[in-house]
Amino acid sequence: MQITDQMFNDWVRQHQKLLFGIAYWWTGSRTDAEELTQEAFLQAYRSRSSLRDLELVKGWLVGILRHCHSQMRRRTKSREEISLDEMHYEPEGRPTLSANAIALHQSLEKLEERHRLPVVLFYFQDLSYREIAEALELPIGTVMSRLARARQQLHELMKTPTKLVLMKKAESL
Amino acid sequence: MSCDLYKSEMYAWRPGDNLPDSKPLLDHLATCPECAQWFANFSASDERIRQAFSEVPGNPSLEANIFANLAYERLQKMPRKTTWRNWFLLPIAASLLLGITLGLGPWLQEARLSRQVATLLSQPPSAEINSTDQKQILDWSAGVLSGNAELPPELSRIEFRAGSSLMVASHKAVLLKMKNEQRASLLIIDARLTAGSTIKSFHETAGSDSRWSDGRRTYVLLFHGSEQDMHAYMTRMGLVT
Repeated sequence: MQITDQMFNDWVRQHQKLLFGIAYWWTGSRTDAEELTQEAFLQAYRSRSSLRDLELVKGWLVGILRHCHSQMRRRTKSREEISLDEMHYEPEGRPTLSANAIALHQSLEKLEERHRLPVVLFYFQDLSYREIAEALELPIGTVMSRLARARQQLHELMKTPTKLVLMKKAESL
Repeated sequence: MSCDLYKSEMYAWRPGDNLPDSKPLLDHLATCPECAQWFANFSASDERIRQAFSEVPGNPSLEANIFANLAYERLQKMPRKTTWRNWFLLPIAASLLLGITLGLGPWLQEARLSRQVATLLSQPPSAEINSTDQKQILDWSAGVLSGNAELPPELSRIEFRAGSSLMVASHKAVLLKMKNEQRASLLIIDARLTAGSTIKSFHETAGSDSRWSDGRRTYVLLFHGSEQDMHAYMTRMGLVT
């Protein structure tokens, strides 16, 4: 299948926000998300001949993003150190996060990666079980069971506000 | 099934799902007020989580950065491709240039002319003008060719009896039949198609030709006979090219 530069550029315009959003919630860091998104599009461009069906481009891109994320995780195992400070102390002029978003960041941090990856795809882009299974290269049954477990944990974690979330809630009152 | 099991099933349920698998759960919710309340709280919490996920910071420079990376990647690939092609094409291009310079072009023209001469020897066109008036024949030729049809000095002793117009290698031409020799005719082409004076024999038509050019036009003496016979005729007519 011939994928022209023009076609690929259109995909960048169409899907860059999706990939950035997923990467943002996977990593909890805007900087990492930007790096991951750029890397994913670059790798996608290099391996564009491997795409067999144009209809599956979204899942294909998310799969490449997941691959880049695994590579990044192997390079830097310091996720715990980066997220909270960076999130809370946004540079001036940027909108700060809501208490719910902070709580979500903190809850996602506590989830195991095998639960965090599908739950982000489920909530953020409302991907179907099948799409999630394809992107993460997992059987659909595994995705369903991991998602059920991840959602249960996420709901429970979100119920218990941290000190930071309470402070944020107090600020907004 | 107990309420706890139904609650665990709710974590696998997604808004909008109305699959046959969800029917027992939905039926239970319709009959169990406690689970219905729990499910309402769960749905509200789920919606809150979904809302929180939509809070993604904007990144106006991201698209430009991606395109910059892609542009660099494309640029990196281009020279490699071009270099490889250049190396591959260089000898071919050089050979072509050399071939054209050294005479591939004229050789191709000569070959094309030979093919048409062979055809004319075997299938001569029918005459468009029949006249023994030399001036009339030459005036008619001038009308077909560009400019005048004055013959070069080496053809001064030749006279014609008939003429046909045609195209040779996309150039205007006339074929004039000789008055005093049935076997001979003269082809005048309005272009330079031969580099020097050449004599050729066509075994398949038992014919020969002698061709030369004055720089502006090409003259081809077509002869139904051997080279020796053609030479004898040319000597007789003082035709020295």
